[in-house]
Amino acid sequence: MQAFLVIVKMLSIGALTALQISVGALAIAVCVGLLLAITRCFVRRRWVQVAIAAWSEWVRNVPALAHLFVLYFGLASAGIRLSPVTAACLGLGMVGAAVLCDVFTAGLRSLHLGQREAALSVGLVPVQVLRFVLLPQMFRVTLPSLGNYASQLVKDTSIASAIAVPEIMFYARHLVTSTFETTAIYLGAILLYAAIVLPLTWLFAHAERRLELSR
Amino acid sequence: MIEFFSAYADYWADWGPRLRAAALVTAALSVGGFVLAVLLGSLLTVALRSASVWLQRVANAYVQFIRAVPLLALLLAIYFVLPGAGLVLSGFQAGVLGLGLQGSAYVAEILRGGLGAVHKGQREAGLTVGMTPWQVFCHVTAPQAMRVMLPPLLNAYVSLLKDSSLCALIATDELLLTARAISSESFLPLHIFLLAGLFYFAIAFPLSMCSRWLETRLRRGRRVMGAT
Repeated sequence: MQAFLVIVKMLSIGALTALQISVGALAIAVCVGLLLAITRCFVRRRWVQVAIAAWSEWVRNVPALAHLFVLYFGLASAGIRLSPVTAACLGLGMVGAAVLCDVFTAGLRSLHLGQREAALSVGLVPVQVLRFVLLPQMFRVTLPSLGNYASQLVKDTSIASAIAVPEIMFYARHLVTSTFETTAIYLGAILLYAAIVLPLTWLFAHAERRLELSR
Repeated sequence: MIEFFSAYADYWADWGPRLRAAALVTAALSVGGFVLAVLLGSLLTVALRSASVWLQRVANAYVQFIRAVPLLALLLAIYFVLPGAGLVLSGFQAGVLGLGLQGSAYVAEILRGGLGAVHKGQREAGLTVGMTPWQVFCHVTAPQAMRVMLPPLLNAYVSLLKDSSLCALIATDELLLTARAISSESFLPLHIFLLAGLFYFAIAFPLSMCSRWLETRLRRGRRVMGAT
């Protein structure tokens, strides 16, 4: 019983770290992804387009774990020491930015051209057009993809254990070596992830239905 | 900058063959996992489309649950928990099993979407002209569904390939674990992990491009409902 309580306690501490990393990475992913998408849609310079495309292809076609290793072990050898949590936020955020850049670009392009023209013609400046006309509509269109990304991100925090971030899988592996309750610990970890991710997907599904209704 | 790249020239004779061998393991791992995913995914699709409500519910619950669990947790559970039940798997076997289980849920969603995109009338028409249900599936439904399913299936393979990197954490000698081993000998982690990333990129990028090309190519000439 004592051992069981310890397992629950340690895994929940890990869950908190996992949520912190998720929030950090999500913030980076949304901000950078949005910036890249807006640049891609409105800056017509060829080299800008090519640079964004090349960056996003590289990030999306290489495993996240490789990115984390480059950021954590690679940069350390070049003299830039990141803490495990920072490296995890940056790495997962970087991958997320590339994913969301595509999602947001598709969202912006799905809006009718007239929306922008109408907003400009009633006298809004370009920043206002984005803030009050285009982005709100874009978020509504991209909500399902955002939801998918968010739950994927929570699951992906598990790989941060490979660079010694004290999250759920990290504690799970350490608990196994000290208590030998292998089955209970790993099943507990799996259930814990499901208990975070499933409500998250339901929440997004619910939000989606609400938006459909109000449309 | 030149110094950075000269390290590759110095060490290529050592790194090259080892990374190539590891790339083969990664390829075998991901292809094995994908084959298993397609097999299990097809079974799941049969269950999802069957007449039995219970079968549908079980398959649906499985898909939902698997999609909510990280692959790493699944891999560690398979690798460390199953031996307790008397089933000892090597890292490679556990990797294929984990990737297959995880992938099957995604493949099932793709197959369900693809088959759902074929109009019901196609099947009914096939039955009306006297084809057996199996003939209808092989000659009418499946070829049309294939046009919808092929690009996402290719994407599913690419993400499975990237996910196979997690098998490094259950002691499978694939690309990233080999890169880690090399990095601890040579103390050039930045070089070696970028190079390992390049190996993944070299496989994944052409496939991603191919999937995008197929998507536009296969859409050509497809008769969308309501368009005619």
